[in-house]
Amino acid sequence: MSYKCSRCKRDVELDEYGGVRCPYCGHRVLLKERAPTVKEVPVE
Amino acid sequence: MAEDFEVEFIEREDRKARFLVRGMTPAVANGIRRAMVADVPTFSVDTVRFVENSSVMFDEMIGLRLGLVPLTTPLDDFEEGDVVTLALDVEGPATAYSGDIESSDELVQPAELNVPIIELKEGQRLQLEADAVLGSGKAHAKHQGGVAVGYRHLHRVEVVGDANEFEEQEPNILRGVIEEAAAEHAADESAEDGALVPTSEFDNDLTKRYPGKDVEVHDVPGAFVFHVETDGSFTVEELVRRAVESISDRAAELEEKVAI
Amino acid sequence: MELRVIDKTDEELRLEIAGEDHTFMNVIKGALLETSGVAAATYDVNPEQSGGQTDPILSVKTEPGTDPLDALADASRRVQDLSTNFTSAFEAAL
Repeated sequence: MSYKCSRCKRDVELDEYGGVRCPYCGHRVLLKERAPTVKEVPVE
Repeated sequence: MAEDFEVEFIEREDRKARFLVRGMTPAVANGIRRAMVADVPTFSVDTVRFVENSSVMFDEMIGLRLGLVPLTTPLDDFEEGDVVTLALDVEGPATAYSGDIESSDELVQPAELNVPIIELKEGQRLQLEADAVLGSGKAHAKHQGGVAVGYRHLHRVEVVGDANEFEEQEPNILRGVIEEAAAEHAADESAEDGALVPTSEFDNDLTKRYPGKDVEVHDVPGAFVFHVETDGSFTVEELVRRAVESISDRAAELEEKVAI
Repeated sequence: MELRVIDKTDEELRLEIAGEDHTFMNVIKGALLETSGVAAATYDVNPEQSGGQTDPILSVKTEPGTDPLDALADASRRVQDLSTNFTSAFEAAL
């Protein structure tokens, strides 16, 4: 799962066993990025 | 066998018209009105593929807004179910307008260029590809070509006497079109019997047209004043023609199937 | 448009017309009533609130000597003539 640290803005790979924490700055708030794939949406 | 119609235009623009039809039954008038709203197909965005959407709105909301953008629809060149691909790519700070949509087919373009889709701030971007499908208003309102389509009876106003002189006359509001029948009492000098006058010419108020007179309003039987407005997908003429054609086609199909 | 005959006698017809709504049914009903030999004509889009039935059912009764199917064909013809007349009157007014 790829996240972004909300303090240092670096990409973070979240490790299930390491807890929720940025390995670079130790910040505990991580933001989930939008998937880089093309998303198809039906219009209704 | 079938009756003859008389058609007269009162107001005529590309996207908006008013015309009078004489010799029509209410069933046919309503059939044509309903066909204009629900049976004449137009192009409308049906599927959107989002490459990037860093705007503040969800993909679905932007999709919905794109669906409501009217697209020009030359019905001679397409049939129901046909697909045209559109693309949009706008980077903030800017507002994405319908005019920014690029079409793969020059015949199918946004009919209105200044419909705002979303306002983008610095660093936000909207990049997408969309499929516009030719469908009918029966399936979804976004496919309706006719907006504000309706009809009223033609009115005939009769002057039946004088109003009470010593009383302030109350406004007598009437909307639609009148067939002048009492020109000698009309406030307008150039009034002529038999002329068609939209009530907006006298502020929809009969006391302004016939000051100091008592009037009675009657519907003219079999005379309908249609008011037709399109969303820009095609002209009013095209819409009316196609609506009548769709009814005729169904009658032909029924006749053929009944014969078997 | 798919037709299903429900009842048919010499002077009566009940016909289900799948895929149509008031737009066409009311026009064809109006045309039937103006057709000679037709005693009564009506349609119902939701007969007796029958669970989910929404295809209209056209009922035609004719006077002796007229086949209801012929009357329906006449009425369809009439709607087509009327459309042609309207279109030409409309184009003439442009």
